Amino acid sequence: MSQEGKAVIREMVAGRPKLLVPQTAAFVYCPGCHQPLVARAVAEALEELGMGDRAIGVFGIGCSSFLVGMLDIDAVNGPHGRPPDMATAIKHIYPDNLVFTVQGDGDLLSIGADPLLGALTRAEKITLIMLNNAVYGTTGGQMAPTSLLGQRTTTTPEGRDPASAGFPTHAAELIATFKGVVYSARGACNNPYNYQLTRNYIKTAFEKQMKGLGLSFVEVLSACPSNWRMSPLDSLKWIEEKMIPEFPLGEFKNTDRIE
Amino acid sequence: MAERMFIEGNEAIGWGAKIAGCQAFFGYPITPQNEITEWFAREFPRAGRVFVQSQSELGSINMVYGAAAAGARVMTSTSGPGWSLMQETMSHMANAELPCVVVDVQRGGPGGGPIRHAQQDYFQCTRGGGHGDYRNIVLAPASSQECCDLTQLAFYLADKYRNPVVILSDAIIGRLREIVEVREIDFGPVPNKDWAVKGKAGHKDGRRRIVEHSSDLFGRDPDYVTLLRRLSQKIRQMQESEVRYESYRMEDATLILVAFGYTARVAKEAVNLSRAQNIKAGLIRPITLWPFPYEAIREKAHQGAQFLVVEDSLGQMVEDVRFAVEGRGEVQLVSILDRHIPTDGGMILPDKVLAKILEMYAAQETKGYEPGR
Amino acid sequence: MVRPEVVINETECQGCGYCVKFCPRGCLIVTGERFTPQGYLLPSFIKPEECNTCGFCAMLCPRAAIEVYLSISQ
Repeated sequence: MSQEGKAVIREMVAGRPKLLVPQTAAFVYCPGCHQPLVARAVAEALEELGMGDRAIGVFGIGCSSFLVGMLDIDAVNGPHGRPPDMATAIKHIYPDNLVFTVQGDGDLLSIGADPLLGALTRAEKITLIMLNNAVYGTTGGQMAPTSLLGQRTTTTPEGRDPASAGFPTHAAELIATFKGVVYSARGACNNPYNYQLTRNYIKTAFEKQMKGLGLSFVEVLSACPSNWRMSPLDSLKWIEEKMIPEFPLGEFKNTDRIE
Repeated sequence: MAERMFIEGNEAIGWGAKIAGCQAFFGYPITPQNEITEWFAREFPRAGRVFVQSQSELGSINMVYGAAAAGARVMTSTSGPGWSLMQETMSHMANAELPCVVVDVQRGGPGGGPIRHAQQDYFQCTRGGGHGDYRNIVLAPASSQECCDLTQLAFYLADKYRNPVVILSDAIIGRLREIVEVREIDFGPVPNKDWAVKGKAGHKDGRRRIVEHSSDLFGRDPDYVTLLRRLSQKIRQMQESEVRYESYRMEDATLILVAFGYTARVAKEAVNLSRAQNIKAGLIRPITLWPFPYEAIREKAHQGAQFLVVEDSLGQMVEDVRFAVEGRGEVQLVSILDRHIPTDGGMILPDKVLAKILEMYAAQETKGYEPGR
Repeated sequence: MVRPEVVINETECQGCGYCVKFCPRGCLIVTGERFTPQGYLLPSFIKPEECNTCGFCAMLCPRAAIEVYLSISQ
């Protein structure tokens, strides 16, 4: 409300990042899903680094594939689990571009184990981002490599039993052991503090690639209220109380030299 | 500028790819095409092009997908078992309309099979191989020279139609050394690749590009049927415009052999031996196994010819020949079971083919069969 | 004079409740009386006098449906 003779400046101090495409009816994510929060973190990191025009995203199958329509950058979607292979090729063709993937935990660790191992072994200079929601989301909530012991899923109705289904995979720790990996971190989006930490992890991962150092990796613990059969607010609690003790947050490797 | 080299078919593929401007090769070891992968490992880095040894054939073909999405001319090479692994992504590339060249140097099957020659991947290559409705263009070289020339044609057709192209070779053509004139063939202009991803900064209009493999998720097509209609039109166009085959001594032939790859050379020899005995034999050698030269065969069937298919399998291409003949004439088969010795080194040799020709000719005589009736 | 505004896009909001939970000053609540066209419960910006435009509500909104404005009149 302006008083006579006085100027009013109205500024937007927080809102949609420029690289996040406005969604209309096409928005497909469930209420409280963290997938679009990761998209936001990627958009903000790219904007801060000024790399929106040189970024190429390669997205997996599952809920991650819809990110193709959410970010205003060149994007590729291919078969289940194959983004590390596609990203490898694109980076070789365009070494000056920022080439990154966003995949689910099943996409990267299960069917994607072959491409993941290949990229890690060859120390490809790409950035891999993995959303860990402890289930296969798009298909209705089956057990995933990162499902917790005792967790009920549609394929472990009695709870995950290590005798038949093994133990959750710890991607960030595993990937940190590879020599060609210069950065491996795990974040979460369950509160503003962790969101900002995760955004910084992603920005650091991108910077490692821009410096041409090696492979960078960020795992993000993400809520999946629909498949956890919880409300969004309860799913935040589940991350805090159940996931973070199993999957601690932090940087597991951060180096500027291959050693 | 042509250069004459004494090289095997596998190597000739490399030279053809280099001349065609192939920018990237991704490959994995498998016999009998290791010479191709090793050629690229030697020649491409020193030519400033991309070579990556992938972790599996799944890796190779998905790297091909990525590089093709980035607008590069790209290829990979494998043999039967690896080709089987690649089928999911071949199907995805057909949907995403990505151009690429894939070489299958056939070996025996099914399963691990012997590592020597066979011609048993015909169905898998010409029927699509992967799930869903699509077709690969399939080129079948029968010499080292053709390995070089058809590779260049493959890149041209791939870009022209935004479709995968398969070069179906075999261990004999792959390892046979012959004189090759390595020279550039100009096939004409290809459409630009404005659709490819390279970062928004690389596009004149500054807007993003998306390469994806579903039907209507990201607005590429309004719905699924529109996509299918487009793919169907593409298939029809390829069928109408890209059939290629060789006619050998066909002017007055009444007993027509149909063969591709190494068995075509054996068949040619058998044709010559028959002609020496006054039998009017000829050969139609498909160069494109898909699209298949149905018309050429159908025409001869209408003129009353008989057909003898010579292929080193239990009988795959023979079904396409029967389809073209439409019951108007006899179609016989010399198959992998007619190899001269039962080991994996056995081959179909001209004497077996000639024996079959004589048998068919004798039966013709007995029935008082008159061609052209 | 300084006036903060939290503007929530009423067709995009999915009623997840993150903005309400993470506002450090309780400026947003779900009254239970307002809904989006899809039937999700809409939060209301009830305490503009407490808002310090920290932007957490906008940051954690998965739909990016929240915009925070600051009006300064001189």
